[in-house]
This record gives sequence, C-alpha cells and structure tokens, in this order.
Amino acid sequence: MPELAVSTRGLRKTYRTRRGKRVVAVQGLDLDVPTGGVHGFLGPNGSGKTTSIRMLLGLVRADAGTMALFDRRVPEHLPEVVSRVGAIVESPKFFPAFSGRKNLELLADAIGTPRRRVGEVLEETSLGERGKDRFKSYSLGMKQRLAIAATLLKEPELLIFDEPTNGLDPAGIREIRETMRALGEQGRTVLVSSHILAEVEQVADTVSIIGHGRLLASGTVAEVIGGTAKGTVKVAVDDHDRATRILTSAGLTVRADGNYLLVDGAEHPSDVTRRLAQQELYVSELIPVRADLESVFLELTADEGLGGDR
Amino acid sequence: MIRLTSVELRRLIARRLTVVGVAAVLLITAFLLFATWRNSQPLTAAEQQQNQVIFEQIHKDWELHGEENQAQCEKDWESQPDPKPTLEEMCNYTEPKLEDFGRPKTVFTEVIPDLLLGSSYLLAFAGFLIGASFLGAEFSSGAISNWLTFEPRRLRVYGSKLLALAVGMIPLAVVVLALVLGGTFLIIDHLGTTAGTTGKAWGDLTETAGRAVLLAAAAAALGGVVGSLLRHTAAAIGVAMGYVVLVEAVFGGFLTTAQPWLIRINFDAWVKHGTTYFVDKCQTSVDGGYFCETVEKTVSFEHGAWYLAVITVLLIAAGAGAFYRRDVN
Repeated sequence: MPELAVSTRGLRKTYRTRRGKRVVAVQGLDLDVPTGGVHGFLGPNGSGKTTSIRMLLGLVRADAGTMALFDRRVPEHLPEVVSRVGAIVESPKFFPAFSGRKNLELLADAIGTPRRRVGEVLEETSLGERGKDRFKSYSLGMKQRLAIAATLLKEPELLIFDEPTNGLDPAGIREIRETMRALGEQGRTVLVSSHILAEVEQVADTVSIIGHGRLLASGTVAEVIGGTAKGTVKVAVDDHDRATRILTSAGLTVRADGNYLLVDGAEHPSDVTRRLAQQELYVSELIPVRADLESVFLELTADEGLGGDR
Repeated sequence: MIRLTSVELRRLIARRLTVVGVAAVLLITAFLLFATWRNSQPLTAAEQQQNQVIFEQIHKDWELHGEENQAQCEKDWESQPDPKPTLEEMCNYTEPKLEDFGRPKTVFTEVIPDLLLGSSYLLAFAGFLIGASFLGAEFSSGAISNWLTFEPRRLRVYGSKLLALAVGMIPLAVVVLALVLGGTFLIIDHLGTTAGTTGKAWGDLTETAGRAVLLAAAAAALGGVVGSLLRHTAAAIGVAMGYVVLVEAVFGGFLTTAQPWLIRINFDAWVKHGTTYFVDKCQTSVDGGYFCETVEKTVSFEHGAWYLAVITVLLIAAGAGAFYRRDVN
C-alpha cells in the first residue's frame, strides 16, 4: 500500500461550550490523503475541517480515533515528522510587532534552518522588499504569503492550508491558487481545506467532502462528481408539454427551467434528441449541464445545513 | 532545548515591552539614587544655627526643671494601673545632646538594606510584567499555534520560554542592584558616612543582592506561567494586582496572624535573611479594661525560602500541565 500523507480513522472531537453543553466537532472521521498533488478538504463552515487539521498538528487533542502523518502515528510521533509538514491554520499568526523577516528568522532558528533560507523564501513569495516591515502593517494577502514563506522554511513534503483565501481579493486568490498548484506539481502534497468549491476544483487532484465531522465522499474530482451527480441536459424545444410527455414516458425526469426543459437521467444527450425527433419535435438548443464539485458538494451536504454543529 | 531557549531569549530582547520595561526600571533606579542623594545632603549653615538655638533652649529647660520633672514622673508611674510601662520607658529625662537635634548623617549600612529591598520589589514587579506579557501576548496573538507547528514538543517549548525569561532577567537585576549598591555607596561616602562598611558587611549585602537577583528571575518565570495560564497580558496583570490588593493588603491587614503565609512577608524574609511582622494581641485586664499590645513576630529566612520555592514549583508545574494538555486555538 502506498504511503499516505495523512490518514485518520474514527477521529472524534467534542467541545464543551461555556454553558457546559457538549458539541461534536468531528465524529468518526476517516480521511486518507495520498502523497503528491493537491487534495481538497471540503465542507461547510463549522463542519470540522479546522478542528481536524488542528488535531493532525497536535494543537487540539482528539477524544478518540487514530491519526497518522506519513504513516507515523500522531501526536505521539509528531516531532519525528513535523519537519516534513508545513501548515497555515486559519489566519496567519505571527508576532505582530516584529518584521516579517524577524518572524521567519526566529522560526528558522528554532528548527535549525540556515538564515539564508529566510531570504530565499521571502523572495519566493515576493516579500523580499517588505521583509523588514512589521507584520501588523501587512495586507491580508501579504500575511498569507508570509505564512506560506514560513511553511517553506522547512521545505516540507506536506503543506496544509486551512481556508487560505479567506479575505483575499481576486488577485490574491489567484496567486494562492497558483502557488498551491505549483507546489503540487513539484511533487509535494498540498492539503487545502476550503468551503469555496470553485477554487478547490481548479487545483485539486483529489478531494474529501465532510459534513458534521463525518466523511461524505472522497476520491478524485472526477470520481466524486461522477459518483454522485446525475447527467442533466438543458433542452430548448417549441412544445414544452408534448416534449415533457414524450421524455417522461421514456423514463426521464423533466423540469421546466424558464424557456428550457431540464432533463435528468439521460445516459447521453443524443437520447433526448432522438426520442423527440422520432415524434417530429425538433430541438433548437441542447446544452449538457456538467455536474461540478459545487453541485455535488451541495447535494452531499444538503442535510448538513450551512454550518455545522460547532 | 538550548537552541529553543536562545531563540526565545532573542525574541525577549527584541520585544518592545522588554525594552520599555528595562528603560523604566533603569529610570526608577536613577530616581532612587537621586532621592538618596537629596536625603543625604548635610544641613545648611542656617539649619545648623536654628538647631543650635533650639538645643540651647531645651538644655536650659532641662537644667532648670529636669530633676523636678523626673521626680513627678516617677510619682505618676507608681500610680499607673497594671500592666504599666517600665520606669525607663515612661520617665526618660536624660540630658539633651546637640547631635540629637537636626538630621543625623546618613549611614550607608543603615539605609542600604531598605534600598536593596525596594529594588528587589521593583525588579520582581518588572520581571513579572515582562514575563506575563511575553507569554500572554503570544497566546492572545495566536502566534503560539504557529510556533507549535514548528516545535510540537510542548514541554520543551514551555521550558524554553520560562528559562529564557529567568535567564534574561538576571543581567537586568545584576545591573540595577550593582547601580543601587555602588551608587548609594558613592553618594553616602561623599555626603554621609560609610564607616562600618566592613568586608563582612559587603559580603552580607552581596548575598542580599544575589537573593534579589534570584527572586527577580523567578518572578519573570512566574509572570510567564500566569501569562500562559490566562492567555492574556492584561488578564495576568489584573489577577496579580487583584491578589496583591485583596489577599496581601486587605486579607493580610484584617487577619494579621496569617502574615507568615503572605507572599510579601516571605519575600522580605528571603531578601533580608529573615524578617519581622507585628500582630495585635488583645486581652481583658483584671479591672475589666480591654487593651491591645503589638507583638513582634519573626519569619525566618528558611521559612521564606521554602515558602517561595514551593509556590514557584507548584505554579510552574500547574502551568506545565495546562500548557501540555490544553487545546490551542
């Protein structure tokens, strides 16, 4: 069995609120992240993504279950693998009164990385000129880039980005996306958690979708889309009523959608045109509606609500 | 651990609050020396003249009425109800001397113990503040979570931070206490008297200063512990201040017999190699009157040392337990 970058089994975490109520953040999460490429970790806000990541990094204690990074159980063996893992959990957190460079130097010194590496990662993340400025004077995008620079100090094999584009402008989002893609293409494993599907779909090779702290679907993007969503075709035809009767009698599901009909269940779009043409009804437009990650995500998490139970 | 501690030391030195704290401590030390200089000034010619006049008047009065006053006082003393003060306490009409009038010369060995004690309070307070901020700010800014993703061995991280605080506080304490000792000696040597400052006296003063240095280092580490437990600088300082006001001042003031278990008394006992405190002992006399007397009690150096050691170890252990187990969000 190939080495997994991340593996969890039966992972569980509950929190106690200030009022003493217990809430389940993660319940029995089984997650596998293969090595290499970008893995999207998707779920609605509050579905347990950040808590799961925090548990993997030893920041939060799991109540039950097992976790492994590169086949080493964590948190017991975390010190042995931590040099292979770089992580940004939620917003970048550094010492605000220190410069970006100073923050990185302290981290580099703590792990015994040569100081020259600090200059290199600052250049890699286009922060070379602003390295001497205080962290608190940075824009959100710069803070995010500094956080990426910090993770690169270790030259990690696994990078964990938790909601990396939160609060960024479109240019910043694109920049982070390209960075993640580039890191994945370098052979590193990038685990990116997000509730913004479009950004993940563009870069992810594999995805896991969670809701209420449970795994709902996992696999390559194509597998997850294909395994969950059904083919839909958008049809423009003159006589909606007749067309609906013909297609329904053929076992397809038909819904009105403005000037179009939405037809579900057709194995191939040509099935629709053929059946209608046999009854001398001719299609003026036929648009295959491609199932995307967003629709799959919404379908899978429909019962989960917009937020989780945290 | 050594690498982590040296990184934490560099961070400690680079912090603005550390720089401000050190500057404030040095400024207060300078004020302390200035006040010593002012208080040690000899009397002016006019003040000496005035003292001479007052002395002569009182001496003349003593010559005329001294014996008469003494006899009357002794008679009054005999009629005092029990328990009565001693005769020497009540009737002391000895001949006035000129040197008893006006401000006496400042003696180095008399003023320096209190100056060292005051400086040790200042250093402990500054150390606590710097320590509380060092860890409190790290938690409140969230930087600790980033730090732990680089070094997840929490007890090492915790130990390195406390060690850096303790080690970092030592040079400041040494400099301040050396300034107080040396500066006060020079001032009083010039304006007062340093007679009696023997080698043994210097040895005792050095030991006192050494104990104050250790206390400042411990206070910095404990500030770090409280900062990490409360995860916020302001909360740590607020709790410390609340403790000082409510427990040390109010509770200690009402329940005077609890004083041996207050930090301040044990602090004094440690720095001064033993200290005293006073309790009011009240009782009803044979004639039904209710009276109180103030009784002096002693807290030994050993008591102070054990008390502070136990408090320090317990707090550090509690902080370590919390730091090790607590979720970092």
